[in-house]
Amino acid sequence: MSDDALLSSDEERDLAGVLDEIIPPSEDGRLPGAGELGLTAAIERAMNDTPDLRPAVAQGLAALHELVESRGPGDFASLSREERRGVLNELATLQPAFLPGLIFHVYAHYYQDGRVLEALGLEPRPPHPLGYELETGDLSLLDPVRDRPKLYRR
Amino acid sequence: MSDETVDVLIIGAGAAGAALAWSLAETRMNVLCLEQGDWMDPAQYPSTGMDWEMRQFGDFGLSPNSRGRPEDYPINDSESPIAVSNFNAVGGSTILYAAHFPRFHPGDFQVKTLDGVADDWPIDYALLEPYYDLNARMMGVAGLAGDPAYPDKEVPLPPVPLGVLGETLGRGFNKLGWHWWPSDSAIATEAYEGRAPCINLGPCITGCAQGAKASTDVTYWPSAIRRGVTLRTRCRVREITVGADGLADGVLYYDEHGAEQRQRAEMVVVACNGVGTPRLLLNSRSQLFPEGLANRSGLVGRNLMFHPYAMVTGIFDGRLEGYKGPTGCCIMSQEFYETDLSRGFVRGYTFETLRGLGPVSTALLGMSSGRVPWGAGHHEAYEALFDRTAGMVVICEDLPEPHNRVTLDPDLVDSNGIPAPKIHYRLSENSHRMLEHCVARGSEVLEAAGAVETFADAPLPPAGWHLMGTARMGTDPDASVVNEWGRCHDVRNLFIIDGSIFVTAAAVNPTNTIQALALYIADQIVKNLANLFE
Repeated sequence: MSDDALLSSDEERDLAGVLDEIIPPSEDGRLPGAGELGLTAAIERAMNDTPDLRPAVAQGLAALHELVESRGPGDFASLSREERRGVLNELATLQPAFLPGLIFHVYAHYYQDGRVLEALGLEPRPPHPLGYELETGDLSLLDPVRDRPKLYRR
Repeated sequence: MSDETVDVLIIGAGAAGAALAWSLAETRMNVLCLEQGDWMDPAQYPSTGMDWEMRQFGDFGLSPNSRGRPEDYPINDSESPIAVSNFNAVGGSTILYAAHFPRFHPGDFQVKTLDGVADDWPIDYALLEPYYDLNARMMGVAGLAGDPAYPDKEVPLPPVPLGVLGETLGRGFNKLGWHWWPSDSAIATEAYEGRAPCINLGPCITGCAQGAKASTDVTYWPSAIRRGVTLRTRCRVREITVGADGLADGVLYYDEHGAEQRQRAEMVVVACNGVGTPRLLLNSRSQLFPEGLANRSGLVGRNLMFHPYAMVTGIFDGRLEGYKGPTGCCIMSQEFYETDLSRGFVRGYTFETLRGLGPVSTALLGMSSGRVPWGAGHHEAYEALFDRTAGMVVICEDLPEPHNRVTLDPDLVDSNGIPAPKIHYRLSENSHRMLEHCVARGSEVLEAAGAVETFADAPLPPAGWHLMGTARMGTDPDASVVNEWGRCHDVRNLFIIDGSIFVTAAAVNPTNTIQALALYIADQIVKNLANLFE
């Protein structure tokens, strides 16, 4: 854990597990899971920038730790997929602010990551400076409109 | 403190201020513009970074209340279903606008005569037409001649590309036999007057890093400054002052360091938009004008008009390449523009198609609508949505109502301690009926175009882009704030040139008309200069 990190290494590991539940790897292996993509660092930055997110995530991870512990030894990642979903469903009741706040930031950061864009068939770059080609289109589609009388009143 | 008295002092460097400054530059008068914002750096615009979509929720957000920029002033819009969207910089809200650039229809200036509601303007389309043409050349308007919804008009540049999305929706309109046409867009579709051509970046509404979109920092201002106009940024005007003779004699403002300054002027021109202008006038109280400057009619701040917006979105089976191309400019339809009382409302609306959503916006739409769940099934649901959405915003004509108004908030102030504006606004029954109609017709055309599902949001809450009517134009000093050429009835050397002076709102984006009016008023100032103060 670095000096300025908000989360301990255990919490980071749990968070990565939660992120992989929110966006899991695709079954065909084309798209990575959000935890696997390393979005924990982005979430920690978002916690720094978003006042409401910080306590929601911190309290959510603490509650998650307790729920996992109550199931026996091991951490969140060591649970079966079904157990992990069960924990998150319980957490949704116990800490209602946790998942909604987290999901917004996970979705936002996941879909701006170059590796994800590439896997979706997009170029892994911002729009500028290369831009995009776009067809002018078939302006003859306007022929029936051109034939109409004037629509405006004087 | 400056001892210099300028000939013309313009407050606000947005759409209107820029056009008037450029026009007056040829007179060789000493023209100064004070702007509370600063020059923007296009290299820092969101489209240059991977986080381009998220910055529309941050430093390039629509609302000054959440954007967090020091040059913004807060606006209390808690008593309005529509929140104000603006931007404070050289270029004003043209930095963020979509650059959809329609003109008013001729009948929009005669609403009372044609439909028996609101009021006629004291000017008409024919009078503004040469200024629309001039503005088209100065801003570089792209479009296609021959639109039957308009009189013939000058369009210097070829239209923005239709792309797959535009063609798809165009076929839908054709299937129903409805009007549609490529949008008039203030976007350089070819290299134009030193501006690079549009390369279909997409997010025009967070600033154009290419410089193809006609924000006035890249159109009017460079030319105005070359011709001798002085533009001073980071200067927030607190009040316009008047002399014992009842004429405006200058302003008090805060400079970039927060120090109070005085600027004297022979003539003052206000160009602060439909909320900023009444705020400034109401803050400019004196013994001669205890209810606010130029407010003997009591109409400063009243008759606020937004355009109530709806958004109708369709989900399609095929890919639409919707993340490419100017986000707000593609095609438009004015099938329901003119009054037909059988529809259940007076006046009408314009459909403006939007391009599709980027990767992040798609995910967030999927999240908020429940279409893209987290966990199992996420990827399948996302890929069924991404690049398969196309939508339209619908601009409904708002009618002036005195109870819709801008006042000064009793508590809220900006960073200089200047009282902030408060919005009091409610939708009329006519607007509710129009919104209901346009959502139904919008869904119908999207389905005709092949949408497998449609959904709508109306009224669109953050859609207070168009701010009009709060210092209306007219010939009767008891029923208007400015005369037919923008001069305040109560103060002969004070002019207002922004959307505040609109008598009615039409059902189109107002920037083109705001600028045509500013150019017209500039000409009237010059023509009347010899007896302006008599």
